Amino acid sequence: MALVVAALLAAAPPLELTDTGGTVHRLADYRGKVVLVNFWATWCEPCLAELPTIEQLRAAFAGRPLVVLAVQMGGSARMARDTAEKLSLRFPMLLDRNSAVSKAWGVNLLPASFLIAPDGAVAFTHFGELDWSEAEARRRIERLLPR
Amino acid sequence: MNRRELLTAAVVAALPWRRVKAETEGWRTFELTTRAEISKPQGISRAWLPLPLAADTDWQRAAVNTWTGNARRMEVVQAGKYGVSMLCAEWAAGQEAPFVELKSRVATRDRAADFSRRSAPSLSRAESALYTAPTETIPCDGLVRETALLRMSKGARTDVEKGRGIYEWIVENTFRDPKTRGCGTGNIKAMIESGNLGGKCADLNGLFVAFCRSLGIPARDVYGIRVASSAHGYKSLGASSPVISKAQHCRAEFFAEGLGWVPVDPADVRKVVLEEPPGKLPVTDPKVEAARKRLFGSWEMNWVAFNTGHDVPLSGSSGPQVPFLMYPNAETGGERLDQLDPDGFKYGITAREV
Repeated sequence: MALVVAALLAAAPPLELTDTGGTVHRLADYRGKVVLVNFWATWCEPCLAELPTIEQLRAAFAGRPLVVLAVQMGGSARMARDTAEKLSLRFPMLLDRNSAVSKAWGVNLLPASFLIAPDGAVAFTHFGELDWSEAEARRRIERLLPR
Repeated sequence: MNRRELLTAAVVAALPWRRVKAETEGWRTFELTTRAEISKPQGISRAWLPLPLAADTDWQRAAVNTWTGNARRMEVVQAGKYGVSMLCAEWAAGQEAPFVELKSRVATRDRAADFSRRSAPSLSRAESALYTAPTETIPCDGLVRETALLRMSKGARTDVEKGRGIYEWIVENTFRDPKTRGCGTGNIKAMIESGNLGGKCADLNGLFVAFCRSLGIPARDVYGIRVASSAHGYKSLGASSPVISKAQHCRAEFFAEGLGWVPVDPADVRKVVLEEPPGKLPVTDPKVEAARKRLFGSWEMNWVAFNTGHDVPLSGSSGPQVPFLMYPNAETGGERLDQLDPDGFKYGITAREV
């Protein structure tokens, strides 16, 4: 299935959200690393199919400067925790309770993924389900990692 | 008060409770699921599904959408000069059982114009031009303008008075025709030329838009779908079940200087006349009178708006544009499927409140 893919080089919008454990995550704090920001919701079936592939990606890059931030649109901390447990996800689940951050990022289609380069620019945007365990996705990240 | 209490009080005072309450009050969230299948595919197949409004308003928040399917290409496009938002799917020849399923979550709350308002920003020149222009099926000159001038707006000075005159004329002089398929074609040109003022929402509210535009008042049809029953006790003005495949409904707005967009729905007044039990009510029936009063200036938001577009091209199709996009559309083997026949097409739409 071919989906809309757009490469952008604009600076990422601000992102500051609390995860299910109460830790605050600021995108700006991850400058120097590649960050995958993935927006999802419990009612979005393609999102739930995609999240495990992101976990595979995270595991494949363990120890390297890749950060995964999954942002749940709406919903509760409990719902996010339950999803993480059910799908064995080990990356932080951020809570966008009023969808304000999602709106600021222009997310009206789910799932939505943004790859943020180490300099804070949006290097890749993708709306729709993607298999992040595929070689092409890994190559895309390899190209962004600092040398 | 000790230090801890003082700090707590300060925090409470600083929290924007009132604003939070205002922002959440009255909002209801609905989940719409549209599943379209091409039952007998021939060659390349395509489908176009209308999406709920993509921008926030005071009465409907921008929808969040997701989709699944087996199309080789699926994308969201904004089509035509009104920028109608739709999900386009394209299947390659030979694809077995082509399908696409779109899920949208959208929040709405009841809408009412504040007629005392005087400070609404004006439309830009481009917006004003867009919403006063004729369309392929909505003429704004000739008999339309003459009728509006002579029969509806005589003595009216303000935009609201003119809008009111048009609204009352439509309630008095048109009728809902139960034989009209779907919501009607919105072919105002044919209605005016034939003198047959019967139809359904796309026709009757389309008339409202035509008359407003003919007087230079910006106006637009708002195409959408009913998603829940009416809280005001009108059986005819709500969705009676979670399956809403045939619950499409078009409304209208006009722009009054200083006041902003004013919601109206004269077609629903005629629907109450025809369909509200026991049926065929006189316009003097209290239920009709109440609906007539309420539907000039307010909308019950048990309905989700899709778009305000006319003359909509369907991306990738060599076929004609559609007068409006309120139903799922599709084509296979170069032939359009009947958008008004969900069972043959086939498509199904469901709604639930979440």
